[in-house]
Amino acid sequence: MCAEGDCGGNAENYAAMTAQQTPVDVGGIARPAGRLDLSTALQPHVGRLGERSAAHLLRRAGFGGTPDQVRRYAAMTARDAVASLLTVPPVSSFTPPQELEDVGRPVSMATDPLQRSMLGQEMTTRREKARAGKDAILALQLWWLNRMLTTPAPLQEKMTLYFHGHFTSRATPMYPWITYNQNALFRRYALGNLRDLTLEVSKDAAMLLYLNGAQNVAAHPNENYARELMELFTLGVDNYSEEDVRESARAWTGWRVDRRTDTVTFDAAQHDSGVKTFLGRTGNFTGDDIIGIIFAQPQCAKCFAASLLNLFVYNDPEPRLVDDVATLLRQHEFELTPILGTILASNLFYSPRAYRALVKSPVEFVVGTYAALGVQAIDPLALTALTQMGQRLFFPPNVAGWPGAKNWLTSGTMIARQNFLTRLLNSQTLADSSWLQGLPVASSAAARGLEQTILQGDAAPEALFELEGYLSGTGTAALAPLSVENYDQRVRGAAYLAMSTPAYQLN
Amino acid sequence: MKRRSFLLGSTSGLAVVANADHVFARALAQTPLPGLPGGADRCLVLINLAGGNDGLNCVVPHGNDRYYQLRPALAIDRNDVLAIDANVGLNPGMQSVKALYDKGMVGIVQGVGYPDPDHSHFRSTEIWQTAAPDRYEHTGWLGRYFDQAAPGRENLFKGVAVSKVLPEVLVSDRTDIPAVPGLGEYVMMADRNVAARGAFSREATDSHLPFASPYLAHVMEIEANAQRSSEELPRLVAGYKTQASYPATGLGRSLALAAQIVGSNLGTKVIYVEHGSFDTHVSQKMTQNTLLMQFSNAIGAFYDDLGAHGNERRVLTLTFSEFGRRIEENGSHGTDHGEASPLFLIGGGVKGGLYGTLPDLSATNMGNVRYTTDFRSVYATVLERWLGRSSAALLRGSFTQLPVLS
Repeated sequence: MCAEGDCGGNAENYAAMTAQQTPVDVGGIARPAGRLDLSTALQPHVGRLGERSAAHLLRRAGFGGTPDQVRRYAAMTARDAVASLLTVPPVSSFTPPQELEDVGRPVSMATDPLQRSMLGQEMTTRREKARAGKDAILALQLWWLNRMLTTPAPLQEKMTLYFHGHFTSRATPMYPWITYNQNALFRRYALGNLRDLTLEVSKDAAMLLYLNGAQNVAAHPNENYARELMELFTLGVDNYSEEDVRESARAWTGWRVDRRTDTVTFDAAQHDSGVKTFLGRTGNFTGDDIIGIIFAQPQCAKCFAASLLNLFVYNDPEPRLVDDVATLLRQHEFELTPILGTILASNLFYSPRAYRALVKSPVEFVVGTYAALGVQAIDPLALTALTQMGQRLFFPPNVAGWPGAKNWLTSGTMIARQNFLTRLLNSQTLADSSWLQGLPVASSAAARGLEQTILQGDAAPEALFELEGYLSGTGTAALAPLSVENYDQRVRGAAYLAMSTPAYQLN
Repeated sequence: MKRRSFLLGSTSGLAVVANADHVFARALAQTPLPGLPGGADRCLVLINLAGGNDGLNCVVPHGNDRYYQLRPALAIDRNDVLAIDANVGLNPGMQSVKALYDKGMVGIVQGVGYPDPDHSHFRSTEIWQTAAPDRYEHTGWLGRYFDQAAPGRENLFKGVAVSKVLPEVLVSDRTDIPAVPGLGEYVMMADRNVAARGAFSREATDSHLPFASPYLAHVMEIEANAQRSSEELPRLVAGYKTQASYPATGLGRSLALAAQIVGSNLGTKVIYVEHGSFDTHVSQKMTQNTLLMQFSNAIGAFYDDLGAHGNERRVLTLTFSEFGRRIEENGSHGTDHGEASPLFLIGGGVKGGLYGTLPDLSATNMGNVRYTTDFRSVYATVLERWLGRSSAALLRGSFTQLPVLS
């Protein structure tokens, strides 16, 4: 991979660049070729989006639009489109899935004394409780995927997923409610303040259990959370010392989780109230102070800036670009709304360098496919498929989250992606709701319609030609010409072909 | 280049189309690959005894009275132990492994673990697979081996995971290892249009796409691999005749496939299989004895099969489990998550015998067996003496090797 500015390539000459591309070892992530013009990169994009940019925006700021959404956004300017995406409903309007209610709310949340007594009777054994909790987590996965698909505010869900991968915790079947509560926390802060969220997640039950904060007491400090807070969540390695980890751990002592009620309490007797020296400052610090000191480090803004650029624009963003976004973050005191507004409306975001520059995550692939086909609800087959593709919601591989990018794609996960498409495109679900059935019974018009809706013009001309040939049955002697009788199967097959192009794996 | 599509068959409307100059043709010319350093025909079979195998009831310290004191319900009776010496013996279910031990083909390393043991299944499994107890690595120790040893991607079967999902141990940055749960399951379900898809994506990828992406080449390569390997694998192993009667268990089927892959000479260096679950918090005795018997019987058939084809010296089997279990039994006839445990190295190239240190049940670490051999010492031995690679870079440190491989 060439260093920024060394490429000298003509950014407009995509065909030539593509032709020259050979498999190169680049590790996990890759920056697009071409030159960054920093003077205009973050300036607002002018003009109406058109379908291609609208689909790009909806893939990145959400999970891919439905054909209707793409058309609606295509008529908007970037500014108006992004303003629409930044409008989110209050989290209080959400209700959890029934399976979670079936487990029984933690006692502190249950207001009905009858329910409280039933809880004791029904959830008698640990094994039963774990089984019900497992069902609840499966239901929660499906519930969230359906939110991603149907929400009027996809950016809210996209950021919730981002935070899930960033501030990782892993679900425990015994305590499904704490997973739900953490998910709700992320959703509440989807367009909120990064510093406030970091403070809240530090005292979140799922986090306290996952990274052993609940075991961190004055007499025996547990450094797990203190370390990951800096290493993975805010600063990155080499920006603190081992002594800083130890001192931070002392400041975080005393937070406990009551596993009966799933509530978080502060036990002053277990808190180390002594003087700590942390990142060059000395004082009688608590966890709140630690967050304040971390967020005052210039490195913290850079860390989040790079992370957001990796999420929305392209991987391995240029350091100068990271610096500019970090400056904005500090100016806005870590408020996400203005930052995301700037990034998503920017020239850089709509530039060819950012276009299809990311690998679709399994969740983006699955939810995006339901959306592209216009299917109204995600069925459980998506859960199996996501596991096989390597992204089980609420079960990130480790505290570093999903490595993503190139690591999403292996032979096995690619087969899982293709098999998911086959299952979905052969399922009855599709027949009820997809626009596929409304295509013209004329092969060239149908091919163009499919290509436009699924790939927005990103298929090669030859591929469009092949697609039309497949639909019409020409050039393949055993295929009957397209007719009303074979129409349903044929358009399903054609949709499969369109979704099997390399472009469809890219976001 | 003029490309001709022709029809292979059609049933319910989705056609099968393939290209005359399809990538399959190239694939044939490329498999098997020339061997890697460490011997062209050597293979490592890694068995994950998932869930935390109780080491003390597997390699039983039958000479230690304290074992019997701490496990009144669970201890294996002295008369039932398959004695190796006056101190230790194998679980009574492990007769086939004992027979291989008596032939000098089994090395047992006792007390294997790592510093500051983690008691979470999840994290400890990850530690064993990434060989990184003190940091987070997204690549596995054998994934890194492939990154270093075989960055060329020509051989699609240089490693095979016999599992539904690629285990972390084989996650790499630069290679693509297939996860093959079974021959019948490693298929593109798009049965009738898979070839059409291949033809289609090749049309698309060969031409000038209206966009550039830093990942385009990678996507194309993986798509081609997935298609090629799922097509090729059944054909490449079809000539192999299994020469043993494997038990009808998951592990039996996995090892039968492993022997088939080894015997088909695909240039495969690593095969991963798993067996479990050993997470015996309750009613351990029957569960674990059964699992160990299944393990032992499958291993017996595996080496019979390998032996019948003259392959037993080509295959080193290494077991691991994320942790051993607590020394003292719990109140529900089970044991809770512990720390160090023994592991097995099996094969014609093994110098049979006991390695490591007998677990000291008195000098315990909160009721656990302390580790006396770092698991990376075992990995270093396998990397250096079996796979022929320098281990320091792959394990991010130097670890003493064990003299367990001849």
